Amino acid sequence: MANPRGGALVDEYLRMQRQPGTAVDRSAHALDAAAGGSGSTPGATAVDRFARAHDEAAEAGAALAGRYSALMPATPPGAGQQYAFEVDLDACSGCKSCVAACHALNGLEDDESWRDVGLLHGGDGGRAVVQHVTTACHHCLDPACMHACPVDAYEKDPATGIVKHLDDQCFGCRYCTLACPYDAPKYSAAKGIVRKCDMCGDRLAEGEAPACVQSCPGEAIRIRVVDAEQVVEESETNLFVPGAPEPAVTLPTTSYRTARALPRNLIPADYYSVHPKAPHWPLILMLALTQMSVGVFVVEQVLGLTAPSALMASIRPLNSTSALVFGLLALAVSVLHLGRPQYAFRAVIGLRHSWLSREIVAFGLFAGLAVAYAAWPWAGARFPSGGAVPPWLGWTVSGVGMAGIGCSVMVYQFTRRDFWNGWSTGCRFLLTAAVLGLAAAWVSLTVTAAWTESAASSAALSRYGPALCRALIAAAALKLVFEAAFFRHLAARSTTSLKRTALLMSGALSHVTAARFAAGVVGGVAMPGLVLASRTPPGQEAVLAPFVALLFAACLVGELFERYLFFAAVASAKMPGGV
Amino acid sequence: MLRQRDGRLTRDLARTPGGFGLGQVPARRKPDATADLVCGYCSIGCRLTVHLKDGAPVNLTPAPAYPVNLGAACPKGWEALTVLDAPDRASAPLLRRPGGSRRPVSWDAALRTMVERFKTIRARHGAESLAFLGTGQMPTEEMALLGALAKFGMGMLHGDGNTRQCMATSVVAYKQAFGFDAPPYTYRDLEESDVVVFVGANPCIAHPVLWERVLRNRRDPAVVVVDPRFTETAMQATQHLPLRPKSDQSLFYGLARILIERGRIDAEYVGAHTRGYEPYAAWVRQFTLDRVAADTGLDPREIERLAETVHAGERVSFWWTMGVNQSYQGVRTAQAVINLALLTGNVGRPGTGANSITGQCNAMGSRLFSNTTNLLGGHDFADAGHRAKVAGVLGIDPERIPRRPSLAYHDIVKGILEERIKGLWIVATNTAHSWINQSQARDVLGRLDFLVVQDMYASTETARMADLVLPAAAWGEKDGTFINSERRIGTIRKVAAAPGEALADFAVFKLVADYWGCGDMFRAWTSPEAVFQILKRLSAGQPCDITGIADYAMLDEHGGIQWPCPAGGPPPAPGAERRLFEDGRFHHADGRARFLFESPRPLPEPPGERYPFVLLTGRGTAAQWHTQTRTAKSAVLRKLYPHEPYVEINPADARALGIRPHGRVEVRSRRGRIRATAFVTRSVQPGHLFAPMHYEETNRLTDAVFDPYSSQPSYKACAVAVGPV
Repeated sequence: MANPRGGALVDEYLRMQRQPGTAVDRSAHALDAAAGGSGSTPGATAVDRFARAHDEAAEAGAALAGRYSALMPATPPGAGQQYAFEVDLDACSGCKSCVAACHALNGLEDDESWRDVGLLHGGDGGRAVVQHVTTACHHCLDPACMHACPVDAYEKDPATGIVKHLDDQCFGCRYCTLACPYDAPKYSAAKGIVRKCDMCGDRLAEGEAPACVQSCPGEAIRIRVVDAEQVVEESETNLFVPGAPEPAVTLPTTSYRTARALPRNLIPADYYSVHPKAPHWPLILMLALTQMSVGVFVVEQVLGLTAPSALMASIRPLNSTSALVFGLLALAVSVLHLGRPQYAFRAVIGLRHSWLSREIVAFGLFAGLAVAYAAWPWAGARFPSGGAVPPWLGWTVSGVGMAGIGCSVMVYQFTRRDFWNGWSTGCRFLLTAAVLGLAAAWVSLTVTAAWTESAASSAALSRYGPALCRALIAAAALKLVFEAAFFRHLAARSTTSLKRTALLMSGALSHVTAARFAAGVVGGVAMPGLVLASRTPPGQEAVLAPFVALLFAACLVGELFERYLFFAAVASAKMPGGV
Repeated sequence: MLRQRDGRLTRDLARTPGGFGLGQVPARRKPDATADLVCGYCSIGCRLTVHLKDGAPVNLTPAPAYPVNLGAACPKGWEALTVLDAPDRASAPLLRRPGGSRRPVSWDAALRTMVERFKTIRARHGAESLAFLGTGQMPTEEMALLGALAKFGMGMLHGDGNTRQCMATSVVAYKQAFGFDAPPYTYRDLEESDVVVFVGANPCIAHPVLWERVLRNRRDPAVVVVDPRFTETAMQATQHLPLRPKSDQSLFYGLARILIERGRIDAEYVGAHTRGYEPYAAWVRQFTLDRVAADTGLDPREIERLAETVHAGERVSFWWTMGVNQSYQGVRTAQAVINLALLTGNVGRPGTGANSITGQCNAMGSRLFSNTTNLLGGHDFADAGHRAKVAGVLGIDPERIPRRPSLAYHDIVKGILEERIKGLWIVATNTAHSWINQSQARDVLGRLDFLVVQDMYASTETARMADLVLPAAAWGEKDGTFINSERRIGTIRKVAAAPGEALADFAVFKLVADYWGCGDMFRAWTSPEAVFQILKRLSAGQPCDITGIADYAMLDEHGGIQWPCPAGGPPPAPGAERRLFEDGRFHHADGRARFLFESPRPLPEPPGERYPFVLLTGRGTAAQWHTQTRTAKSAVLRKLYPHEPYVEINPADARALGIRPHGRVEVRSRRGRIRATAFVTRSVQPGHLFAPMHYEETNRLTDAVFDPYSSQPSYKACAVAVGPV
């Protein structure tokens, strides 16, 4: 192919394209001039047409100020008042510019924005209603995020009422994302912390509008000063926005206004959509293992009430050591849940208000006491007193462990998810402690009997084994029935949050559910039943080992799957979402 | 250690005054320069201010003082820079090897291959065997260069653009009624109307910044929405007429009859400035209230109420978009709207007009300068005088200019099917996704001997079919001008580096010209701005005369300039908003506008026993653009729309068919079937389904029917069946 300039021309265009801020034009002229052509008069280059800051002072303000001045409060909040968002639903047409502007004007991560827009729809045959709802942090009077935070990374500004997140204080436990009913705190995996809307506080301080306010083409979002009393009154009478979580819990300050009469059948566009949530593996392991650990200690104490001390002395070293290992493992794994685990120690500072702090402190104490308890027989052997563990220590370890489990229950109860309510979570966690504690005690008993080959151990096994087996079957069966009974919510006519959970467990998560029940039945009913029926002669306990191992493994796996569902299938009240 | 109020993470979110009138900006992205450019998505033509730091773009905000957007933008605009960084940007030419795999090649090899293959095809099959499909997304200068290169340089006869899919109907409607493709309005008309009538338009979602202008109207306007769907805009309306799909033509004839019979027309205006009133008045008599109510399914009282509203308004403006344009009878429907404006004298005054809202950012540039249906500058290929004028301006032999317009898009597709067209050059459009009856369209593209796709992404459905992919620099990586809906010309410019070896389309066309051997013909086309000067000369004496615009700098300083702007006239005031036909003189030789009408036709594919539903298609959210090649690349935009295809269905239909809310459904038409999630909502009437056009699947269902005058595809109504899966 004849071509007068060939690849050289390509190179020239590529060179021009790569010049930053320089249009093809100037160089094209140069090219033509070089090639003997005659271009027209070169225009200004792109670079020349970029604005430069000539007079920083004159341009320091916001050119948009005139546009949004009417959307800003005339005076700062006084006593008993604070700043709040006000949304004019009638002016929101659903463009979602506020979401994009929040992202851009705050320099957030790729998919991060502190504002979301959901959709309510309904109406009757004659007139449909399509109402978009923009939502960000509601800067609540009683912020759940702040109460939940174990490291005091939230503060409510006394003058403005803005609920501010202290990013460098946060250690990334994400508890606030569970506690907030409005999805306001957003977790950043890359940064290992949560970030959230601060109402563009430093813009407000300079009289500039927050990003969402200045970007709304319909001027649907404004900042106003609200009286705390009025917020309380409106929250108590549930004046918020249809489809939203009950406002009386955290007293959100955003007010949604409309001149229209919204129909009673308005529902969020995502009302019928159910999606599994992130399972939080470190938390699954942490909960199951701490509960197992506490369970083992409790079982041991209960056994000690009736069993001869010689027998207890033979099984205790293995039993309590394994319990300790499980407990320490649980704590180690739980740290992995943190976005910034190096700051785990900060968890102590929220003790006065955060159940998560209390849980961490309780289990920390439990671990310390458990170390002492488990070490006692080994250390005690060097002392004349002879290594008998004082009963008060065992009961103290168990008591502190139970308190830890209680804190765990409260951690989830505090989030006000129906599936996580205190009663049912308490049953769940205690039965896990029972099932795994009994299963682990079985392992200790069997292993001790098989390894030590002592007559006392064998006797203990044949004397206490059947009782343990029956207890395990009872606890496991009770738990499985309790969990299976949850599917009664499928029969609910309205899509309650519990029905959503049941739908998830029987739908998108059905494979996990099936695995959970299979493992539970095998480990908690079939295997102990088999062991019970086998009537192994004393001294031949080793034969039982594979069955006991399977029993334990199946119980553990079953409880882990149960806990997976606990996190993945939970449904929460939330602001209206999109299609 | 225990308590830390400041640090790296806190500073990451610090804000600081940005200068340049920006207010506070993220401190990490404090700019050292800014550059303004018109947005590259829709035709509203917002101006965006790109924040630059060390010569690279770091952020973007809507420009505060531009008369179009007044400091606002939709999410697509806010995220316009993000989509430039996508990993699937085309960064080197890709050539398909005989085995079928594609590999990167040099530009030299790519261009040699393209020219060799196209010349071989031409030699074997004749001049008609090559064609191009352009776009409404490129600057005018590039469109003009492509059109001139293809037709005058490479000797192609046929080329069309994706503007056929959105604006062709309005073009023909205006040309026939007004004598020139001249949308008469300025956006301020929305602020100055007493009555705003939207027909087949959902500006809340499709043109949010335009909707803002309605909200700024201080005259407490009546807002009327004519649309089968209960859209966001219908929600905001004072009157919504949820009529049967494609029955709007009947409605407007019926309104005309009521107005005429009650003497509620502007007889003086009609007498002085129109032609064809008498036959029109006689003809609409047949559109009795009963007939119109039967055709549209509307309550007769609502029809009379609308007639009263139109009559009562001193300033009435009519606005339409794809609900009218994408129809098998779109031209006559648009003209039925134009007729109403003419009848009531609602043209040429503030707050009035029969106004087509354009689709793509530079659809208007394409209408005037793409050299496809019209000869460059809104001229006529069939007119020898026009050919001579254009040849004179360009310094070429008039014989190189074809004597007839190109085949329309669907005829090019047909040409490929009939093996008359063997080589196709697709530039910045996604035929394999967007063309109606998609499965057939893909089959057709697969039959080509050689398909060249020039695009910013190598991953589009069409680019994946290409024998040769030419990597293009995108909006923000090159210079030029766009013309928006209200005829405002605004500039775009290079603010970002293009990836790899991607080149501005302008450079690609220049290179193709050179490799083809016709580079000398474009000697004067040295740069986009040099081409702008050529375009000015081409526009001289036309209704779209822009000879009074000096250069890009003048466009920037004036906040864009609406055509016409002839030399010698007073220069428009900066930020001016101007409308056409204030003197009542139209572009027909007699200066009069025409009443044009025709019997409405039934749906080409009416719902029946096997396919009982009418499928409506359209925009899903303000965060989605067309085939999503760009908008799917922004993580923020992806948050704002459903990822999986969905169809809207009325609760009554869902119940009857056993479709659960958010359940999976299959939608079938005579052409294909798709799976989607059911969104059970009252926004659609019983018997209708709505599917957003952005999902690849949607056009497997649509029926390839076209308006006979504009050849625009009728995307909006075909018969389908739906059921749970």
